[in-house]
Amino acid sequence: VNLRRLGEKLGLLVLTPELDRELERDVVVGHVSDMLSDVLAHAPAGAVLVTIQVHLNVIAVGSHAGLAAVVFAAGRRPEEDVRRKALEERLVLFASPEPAFEVVGRLYAFGVKGRHA
Amino acid sequence: MTPGAIVSAARARGLDWLALCDHNSARNAAAVAEAAAGNPAVTAGIEITTAEEVHVLGLFPDPQAASAAGAEVGRTLPPNTPEAVRRFGEQHVLAADGRTAGREERMLCAASMLDLSAAVALIHRCGGLAVAAHVDRPSFSVFAQLGVYPAAAGFDAVEISAANASPPWAAQLRALPVPVLRGSDAHFLSAIGDAATRLRLEQPTLAELRLALAGYEGRAVLR
Repeated sequence: VNLRRLGEKLGLLVLTPELDRELERDVVVGHVSDMLSDVLAHAPAGAVLVTIQVHLNVIAVGSHAGLAAVVFAAGRRPEEDVRRKALEERLVLFASPEPAFEVVGRLYAFGVKGRHA
Repeated sequence: MTPGAIVSAARARGLDWLALCDHNSARNAAAVAEAAAGNPAVTAGIEITTAEEVHVLGLFPDPQAASAAGAEVGRTLPPNTPEAVRRFGEQHVLAADGRTAGREERMLCAASMLDLSAAVALIHRCGGLAVAAHVDRPSFSVFAQLGVYPAAAGFDAVEISAANASPPWAAQLRALPVPVLRGSDAHFLSAIGDAATRLRLEQPTLAELRLALAGYEGRAVLR
């Protein structure tokens, strides 16, 4: 399932609508963590990350780990500089008012599964 | 951990200087300074838990500056409840003689709502030095929470704790862009002095520490 459709199905807010091409990307793996050292070490390439961590480093670490997208859960919203960096790195960002557990559950129901890198 | 016991432990370990850095509070530093009466020198500090759950040490020129910073941190913490007291224990504010002079009304073990840059800015605004705490440790350290060193945060130094752990980011620790201090991160009397920083400076004041971090006029952080 591609990111755009996933966002629609899960009711996610697209924070980077400029990334047209990246939103067409399919995702089949996911990762959930608020510790970016764990994301660096364990998030599989191509994953969608669900997190409540909104520091700018999410983008640097996310790019390094080769993430396809990040969902900021629980109503957390990053600052504009985070979004700008994501556009530079072509990393799709979503936001959701739902708790991280709920977001992950819905992703799983759409066939996105977890595994360690 | 009464002021008198902290001072005795520091003297027994031969420390010339200590920084008292309670979690999210600076209200005990003046009492420890009073109990120490200059031996050892006491710097008023705080260990702020940022919104990212990174621990940041603030070291201040005097207890008033530390209190000002601590009060701002406190305003962003949830209130302490009887239930929290039962679970996590009392949060005493002590007088120099060890008697309870008051209680912290905020839950000090919680994360503040200040993000990293706001916490560092607050410390600087109050005249303090901002130090990334126990960067070798897997919990509440800047590397554990943020993966890579956030150079833009504006730390004046980083602290490696007595644990002196070898984390997955050990290579990053060897290439830090700021001076490295050693601290015990003591949570118990017995841990006071388990690690310490050797400094060459004129006197144990924050102004001199600032010069030592810059390597100015013979002052230095020694290996």
